[in-house]
Amino acid sequence: MTDQPLQPFAPPAFFESGMYGSTLGNRLFSTGAVVIGILLVVFIIWAVYTLVAVYHWFKYSNASWIIFPAVAAHFFISFALMAYALSGNAFFLMSYLP
Amino acid sequence: MKEFELEPGEHVVLHVRKHWFLFLTELLPYAIIAVIPFAIPNLLSLAPPMASYADIFNYHEPLARAGLGVWLLMSWTAAWGAFTRYFLNEWVLTSQRIVNIKQRRFFSREVSSLFLSRIQDVTTDVSGVIPSLLGIGNIKAQTAAEDIEFVMHGIPRPEQMRDLILKYVPEEDPQATGI
Repeated sequence: MTDQPLQPFAPPAFFESGMYGSTLGNRLFSTGAVVIGILLVVFIIWAVYTLVAVYHWFKYSNASWIIFPAVAAHFFISFALMAYALSGNAFFLMSYLP
Repeated sequence: MKEFELEPGEHVVLHVRKHWFLFLTELLPYAIIAVIPFAIPNLLSLAPPMASYADIFNYHEPLARAGLGVWLLMSWTAAWGAFTRYFLNEWVLTSQRIVNIKQRRFFSREVSSLFLSRIQDVTTDVSGVIPSLLGIGNIKAQTAAEDIEFVMHGIPRPEQMRDLILKYVPEEDPQATGI
C-alpha cells in the first residue's frame, strides 16, 4: 500500500451546494421541505388514528345510524383542514378561518 | 347484541349514555385548545413589548397557515375521538340485567353485567345546581353482598331510570324466603 498524503474531507458537490447554498432555495433542508415532512407525519398520524376510531365505530356501535354522519363529518372537516394547511382553501370552512 | 348474548325471553329495554351536558364539558378543553392560535395575536398586541411577535401569527403566510391547519386538525381529531369514546360508553338495561359497557380508550373495553334479581337497593343522587336543572345524576344499585355496587355516573333523568330498573327487578318469592 503506497503512502498517500492525507486529503481533507470534501463532501459531494451536491451536498455542499445543498447545505451551504447561497440562496434559500438551494438548501437541502429548505423550510418548504421541512414543512412538507411535518405535514406528512401529521397526516399519517391522523390516518392511523382515524382508522382505529372508525374500526371501533363499526365494531361496537351496534349498527347505530349515527355512525355514518359521525364518520362523514370527521372526514369532511378533516379534509377541509388538510386542504387549508396545504393550500389555504378550506372549502366550506373558509368563512370561519383567516 | 354483539357484546353480550341475550338470555331466552330477555329483551333490551333502554340504552343510556352520559348526559349530553357532561359530553360538552369534556369537549371544552379541545375548544379552548382550538381557539389558542386565534387568541395569541390579540393577547400579544395588548402587551406592547411583545407586540412585534404578533406578526408570527399572520395566517395569510403559508407557514403560519400550515401550522394553524395542523393545529386545528389535531384539535378536531382529538375532539372527535372524545365523541367516539362518549358514544361507545353506555349502559344497557334489559329485562333481566344492567350491562355496563366501558370504553376507556381505544382497544380497552370492559363489559360487565349485574342481574336485576341480585339488586336489593337502588339509590339516585342528584347534587349541584346544573345537575338539578338539567336532570343529571348518579344511580347506585346495591346487591345483597354489600361490597358489590353498580354505579352509573352522570345519567339523564336518574329518577325515571331508577323506577324503570325497579320495575324489572323480580319480586321475591315469599315461599322461597320462608316468610
